[in-house]
Amino acid sequence: MRRVKERWGGATTRNTGDAGADRARAGAEGGGRAAARRTQAEQRESRVAAGLSELERWLADQIGQGIAQARQTGPADWDDLARRLVDAQTPGVAGTVTRLSRVLAAEDWPGLLLAEYALLHLLAVAHRRAAALPEPLRQTVRARVGFPVTRESVLATPAVPDHWDVVGCRDEEQDRLVARRVWLAGRTTGRLAMVLSFSPVGQPLESFPPPGTTIDADLAFYPGASPLRALVAERRNLVDAGPPPGTKVSQVPALIAEVLAADPWTDSWPLVLDGAVPCPDGLADDEGNALPLHPSAGVPWRLLAVSGGRPVTVAAEWTPRGLLPLTAWDEEGGVVRL
Amino acid sequence: MTRAVPGGWEAGRVTWEELVSTALVGADRRAVPPESLLERAAEQVVRMRAGRRPGRGGPPPPAAAETLPLVPRAAADRLARMLAGEQGRLLTEWLETAAARRVRVPAEMIPGLLDLGARDRSIRAYLGAVTGARGRWLAGLNSAWTYLLAEPAHVPPDEVWELGTSGDRRAFLTALRRRDPAAARELLERGWSAETPEDRAVFVTILADGLGMADEPFLEAVLDDRRREVRQAAADLLTRLPRSRLALRMTARARRFVTGSGSGLRAEPPSACDGAMERDGVRARPPAGMETRGWWLQQVVAHTPLSFWPGHLGMPPGEIAAARIGDWEREVRMGWTRAAILQRDATWARALFEAEPLTDLLAVLPPEERSHRAAELVAGHPVDGQMVMMLGGVPRPWGHRLARAVLKKIVETTRNQPWNAGELIRLAGERFDPAMHEHAGEVPELAATLRFRFDMLKELA
Repeated sequence: MRRVKERWGGATTRNTGDAGADRARAGAEGGGRAAARRTQAEQRESRVAAGLSELERWLADQIGQGIAQARQTGPADWDDLARRLVDAQTPGVAGTVTRLSRVLAAEDWPGLLLAEYALLHLLAVAHRRAAALPEPLRQTVRARVGFPVTRESVLATPAVPDHWDVVGCRDEEQDRLVARRVWLAGRTTGRLAMVLSFSPVGQPLESFPPPGTTIDADLAFYPGASPLRALVAERRNLVDAGPPPGTKVSQVPALIAEVLAADPWTDSWPLVLDGAVPCPDGLADDEGNALPLHPSAGVPWRLLAVSGGRPVTVAAEWTPRGLLPLTAWDEEGGVVRL
Repeated sequence: MTRAVPGGWEAGRVTWEELVSTALVGADRRAVPPESLLERAAEQVVRMRAGRRPGRGGPPPPAAAETLPLVPRAAADRLARMLAGEQGRLLTEWLETAAARRVRVPAEMIPGLLDLGARDRSIRAYLGAVTGARGRWLAGLNSAWTYLLAEPAHVPPDEVWELGTSGDRRAFLTALRRRDPAAARELLERGWSAETPEDRAVFVTILADGLGMADEPFLEAVLDDRRREVRQAAADLLTRLPRSRLALRMTARARRFVTGSGSGLRAEPPSACDGAMERDGVRARPPAGMETRGWWLQQVVAHTPLSFWPGHLGMPPGEIAAARIGDWEREVRMGWTRAAILQRDATWARALFEAEPLTDLLAVLPPEERSHRAAELVAGHPVDGQMVMMLGGVPRPWGHRLARAVLKKIVETTRNQPWNAGELIRLAGERFDPAMHEHAGEVPELAATLRFRFDMLKELA
């Protein structure tokens, strides 16, 4: 453990470096903003590179020594690590590390923790070798690490016009902010999208048409190998289109394989399933195939009630540990938020 | 790190379980480079997540088709708002009305309603009706909701008597009794010995509808049932038949225990509770705090046909109810009160209410008179817990006279003691005829509740 602490001692140096950056910023007022921004960007690159190479060594240390004690020592170690990763300007990685303690509640936590460590390692290595990656994957890696992408740059890319079904919406509170995820599915393009918005707790979120509606809109996607996050570039009217078309339960594994092949760090992907029969612990089809629900979903009583044991159209969020139901369409075409 | 890397490790032939166990004890101890372990693990994680085959599912058998129409959209929306807390006290009336109108609720609301029913027994009978086939299907999947299967649903199918749940069978017997009283009793007699004690007790009470001397032999035989609740139910019905053998036996006892004495009456309780009395539904053990012999006397009087007393005592009911009895007066009066309720005798209820205004007696009176008498009580009393309790015993809807008296009381109390009016306002909101919302403007909270009910009932019509 001491070895690790010594290595992380480098953070102090980086803090002095921060002061240097301030001086550089102050000096740049006279010398041109562009130059200052360049310096800032370069500094960020080197800070991130240093932070991630330290992360690589930290992970190797953990695996070298064994993770058997993670239930006792993990949470404190991870808090410490997350703080240093924030200092290293890698908020994406810091967020993943902060969420590590969630796996400890599960019975199979050693496997879940190894999976998380392995994917962090993969990300750090991918960033180190970023120059050799194809451009979309390089963008995915940078986004996962936490490099910001401006709205303007996203809106500057060609937008995708379609009739988009709003298939799910979920609000989650994190750090005094409410994060709203709205998932969309394009009728013509078959593309899936997720629009993310934030607002302080207690303040109303930007309104969005509710699940079950269909909007005629242009979406601009954030760059990446498996693009999902998007902005609404232009919104026209609501369209009356009925329940969205869906995928068969049996097609889901191939679909997810394709997504993960492009972006192995994907931990959330929307699905619209057609002809799915809800069960107490999963979604089945009439051939005996089934997809498990996430353990935190519990028994989906309202979804079961809507289905009555018959096939329905269901939108759900795929996660590595199972599905989280979002929306169901009942026999009469009514929409039920789950 | 003197040993070589274990075989197969670099070639990627290592299993996930091996990777996890090595990570747990530490890669150093097994002489595996940690980076190499992490790389193998990353490959496997992605492969496992991507290659996850659909599991073998066990969907539940499909629910039966619905036979009732769905409630109108506006009514369903209002129910959703009520479940979220708006005017939650009126939920029972919504459910009762929907059950009576024979409509069902949207499926997605059923789990929330069944959770409520798990805590609140009073709404279970309505839930049995309004949750339809889907409700029973769900109740079969969740042990917290199985109570629903004991509640009657609408439209029982043909084989329900042989195969149905106990709720369905009760509903079936009730409907048959209304159509053909003799057929219902005969059906019951045929399989009587195979029924559970709980069902036997409920089935007997169903015979109250269309009760006649033709039921007497069956009910008399039921007095020998093993279970007290079943015997009690049969005895309660037999007291409503003045020519039943039980009524005659009770009359013979009552004749000895209560007699005329000059201008007053005299009571002498039984000295023992014998087997014959117990068979006729007299319970030997008194409730806590009650004198044993007085308890026996009260039960004999309660199970004696009221028509016996005027002839025996030589007085009309009004005089009997007001007469001084001396010792045991309280027990004898309680017996008559219980008898008036059991035998649904308005003449006696009126006479006893004059002597002592017990709210239980109001239920026996015709609605108009009930409203009138309650109104008199309200006018003459301050608002207190006792009045609210008395009014709580008067079922919805309150007649105009009572409503006017209560409204006047609320306005007075709001002016002088506003802290005391709240519970009365809430009760009035639940019990007034909702059409009165236009006349309750002086009490905005009451007017709002009545208006809510007015719209609610209109949507369900």
